[in-house]
Amino acid sequence: MSADWLFDAALVGLLLMLALAALHAPRLYTSVVLFIVFGLLLALAWARLGAVDLALAEAAIGAGLLGAMLLAALARSRQPALRKQAPASLVGSALLGLLLLALLVPAVLPLQQGAQPLPPAVNAALDSSGVSHPVTAVLLNFRAWDTLLELAVLLLALLGVRQLRPAALATAPGWPLLEAWARILAPLAVLLGGYLLWRGSHAPGGAFQAGALLAAGALVLRLAGLLPPLRWHYWPLRLLVLGGLLLFLGVAATGAWFGDGWLVYPPAQAGLLILLIELAATLSIAASLILLVSADRQELDS
Amino acid sequence: MSQTALYLIAGLALWLIGLHGLIVQHYALRRIIALNIMGSGCFMVMVALASRVQPPDPVLQALVVTGLVVAASASAFALRLASSGKPEQDE
Amino acid sequence: MNAALLVLVLPLSCALWLLLLHRRAAWLVLLVNTLTLLAALQALRSVLQQGSQHLQLGGWDSPLGIGFSLTPLSALLLVFSALLHLLVSVYAARSRHSQTRDSDFWPLSCLLQASLAALWLSTDLFNWYVTLELLGLVAVALIIIAGPRAHAAALRYLLLSLAASLCYLLGVALIYGEFGVLDIARLGEYPFDSRSSRVALWLMTLGLMLKAALWPLHQWLPAAHASAPTSVSALLSALVVKGPLFILWMLWSRLAPADAAQQAGLLFALAGVAALLAGGWAAMRTPWLKTLVAYSTVAQLGYALLALGLLLHWQDPGLSVALWLFVLAHGLAKVSMFLAAGEMQATLGSRRVLALKGATQTMPLAMFAFTLAGASLIGLPPSGGFLAKWVLLMPLLAEPQHWPWALAVLLGTLASAAYVFRVVVLSFDRAEPIPAGFSTDRFAQWLAMLPALVVWGLALIAEPLLRWLQEVPW
Repeated sequence: MSADWLFDAALVGLLLMLALAALHAPRLYTSVVLFIVFGLLLALAWARLGAVDLALAEAAIGAGLLGAMLLAALARSRQPALRKQAPASLVGSALLGLLLLALLVPAVLPLQQGAQPLPPAVNAALDSSGVSHPVTAVLLNFRAWDTLLELAVLLLALLGVRQLRPAALATAPGWPLLEAWARILAPLAVLLGGYLLWRGSHAPGGAFQAGALLAAGALVLRLAGLLPPLRWHYWPLRLLVLGGLLLFLGVAATGAWFGDGWLVYPPAQAGLLILLIELAATLSIAASLILLVSADRQELDS
Repeated sequence: MSQTALYLIAGLALWLIGLHGLIVQHYALRRIIALNIMGSGCFMVMVALASRVQPPDPVLQALVVTGLVVAASASAFALRLASSGKPEQDE
Repeated sequence: MNAALLVLVLPLSCALWLLLLHRRAAWLVLLVNTLTLLAALQALRSVLQQGSQHLQLGGWDSPLGIGFSLTPLSALLLVFSALLHLLVSVYAARSRHSQTRDSDFWPLSCLLQASLAALWLSTDLFNWYVTLELLGLVAVALIIIAGPRAHAAALRYLLLSLAASLCYLLGVALIYGEFGVLDIARLGEYPFDSRSSRVALWLMTLGLMLKAALWPLHQWLPAAHASAPTSVSALLSALVVKGPLFILWMLWSRLAPADAAQQAGLLFALAGVAALLAGGWAAMRTPWLKTLVAYSTVAQLGYALLALGLLLHWQDPGLSVALWLFVLAHGLAKVSMFLAAGEMQATLGSRRVLALKGATQTMPLAMFAFTLAGASLIGLPPSGGFLAKWVLLMPLLAEPQHWPWALAVLLGTLASAAYVFRVVVLSFDRAEPIPAGFSTDRFAQWLAMLPALVVWGLALIAEPLLRWLQEVPW
């Protein structure tokens, strides 16, 4: 048993225990905190498996922003009466779960020998894609349509929240330490976000990670009371939110009717186009996420 | 047991834990946490499959990044929907 | 292919411009919907003349890139969704009782249309996951336009929809793990014999059945569709649940090996019969009008499931005609039924079925629209619904061993007739009719009747339509 294997086994064991504990903890606050820890350890697991882009995204979005939203949702709701679950039903569902696991594992283990024609194809096409990092090439060139639709999903989530007309959350006024800290962290977040965006073309990074980091910086400013209200009414904000999708769609349509095809980038300008699209997408993602996480009806209403 | 196999089984276990939590829990916040755990399980299966080859499969990693953002946006919406209006006791 | 791309681009850019300019311009959406319908008809025409077309997005060959495929069926579905969107948008703009005229319904319905077009055209398993999420989110956003009372049903729908997507995604992961490709045309060349691929197929099926509200995973539908605004309910029942059904049909008819398909087909067919009976029974017993119409959707989806099941069980691709005819006829009839029900509900002032007492006197037009739509759902000749049922019944009546299935179809017909007649008989009870609380809106009632007239009009083109559908390669 090598040290590597022991590390992996310990990590996996911790993750499973945290997941179970987060779901069955008696207090909701405990659940949320355990879930945030779960998210951070999950980011570690992704890094361990070599998926660094994913680790960045998980830490920023999965643990960070989602954790903040869970805490905000917790603050808005009353703690319900604790329901004690009968031990018999817990044992019963555990047995059922083990049965399903026994069913699924033999279906999954043979996949270790599955066919993989795509990685060599990506490597062969990488030079003509405009970037040198394979994950960015897949996200913004080979499977750019998925990314465009993903931006639409984010927009739809924001539109859905707009229909809710959510009430404002009464937050405590910012205290001096928070304000000082926010003043240091926010420019750092912008710097790091910009670096991640630029780096995405040749190393792990990219629009989603950068956008999430910017949104996190904005959220810290907001909690410190240093961010002005973000009104949907105000057209620059709408332009920020919609800009990524508009640019992406514009590039796609121009290619279809005046160029070589839908989402076909001319090889000479592919790198520049991808950078522009990523820039617009980063700003859109940051604006959408900050509105999604913290906006209330006063800001979202027309 | 190789690293890939370990993470494949762990991913399945997480998926099942999340599914179990979604069915059994009544409070919306816990159900959303359960959904996210279910999603993480699914992503872990995909990333484990990506690690079968070195360097890891970029297509699967890109799919998981997409899936992560989609799942996070949907969870964010669900959280806002769940905490709007009157707080609920149960389902 | 450019016409089909227009069907995608027009609604999407319309939605983005409406949001950017911060306007709720219904006229712009109506204009865009008309243009989209014209583009869809052009796409259909090009498919009829030149055959199926294929496009690789970004110029990257399969399996590296994502592919779009314009077949006769997807062109027909593009026309179908564009037509229904136009009809519902006109109603939402002009009806006095429309809850959605001054809301975000306009950009959201354009986004719904774009998501559906992206689904019908795509051939990539992961791309379908993203479009399914799009559909789910836009559906929930539309439902909550109705206000806080719809939040509980919308939340339940959202959570179940997300769980179903994750079930589907795990299946996609297993398929990629085994074969390394995501394009359905490529996957059709591989044998799906191993345990992994069968488990993957079942995982995807479970997720899709939950999203399409196929029995027994249909419990979320009645509450969600009944609490939505009228225009939204119409779009949800007619279009949103058909997207996952399309993917389910594609998966089982293109990928599944014959023996697995035969066993699964039997299960699907039995589930379809159960849906017909359970949906019909619930529709007869509910006191709320819109819930009755929503349960009718559950029951009618049973016909589609029965057609899919028999198609797989007997390996008879010709039954695909019945499946898609059902989808078309049901969509038109359901839009009509929901619009009529919504008008009557708003005018007579109550959401109960009992409020329709004597409606033939107070709101004859809307009641007639409801009856026409209901007749198509029952399958009375010569409506579109009858055409679909006829295509389904022909192979059932041909051989004596298939007669039990014909009996099941007959029982389903009786169940549909029961809940439609429940409403119609009540509306003829003119002894003490409920007076109209508000003035009736005749234009809106004519709008509600229009889709029902279209579905009956399908009978006029029955012969060429059936002949064309049977020639199409499924």
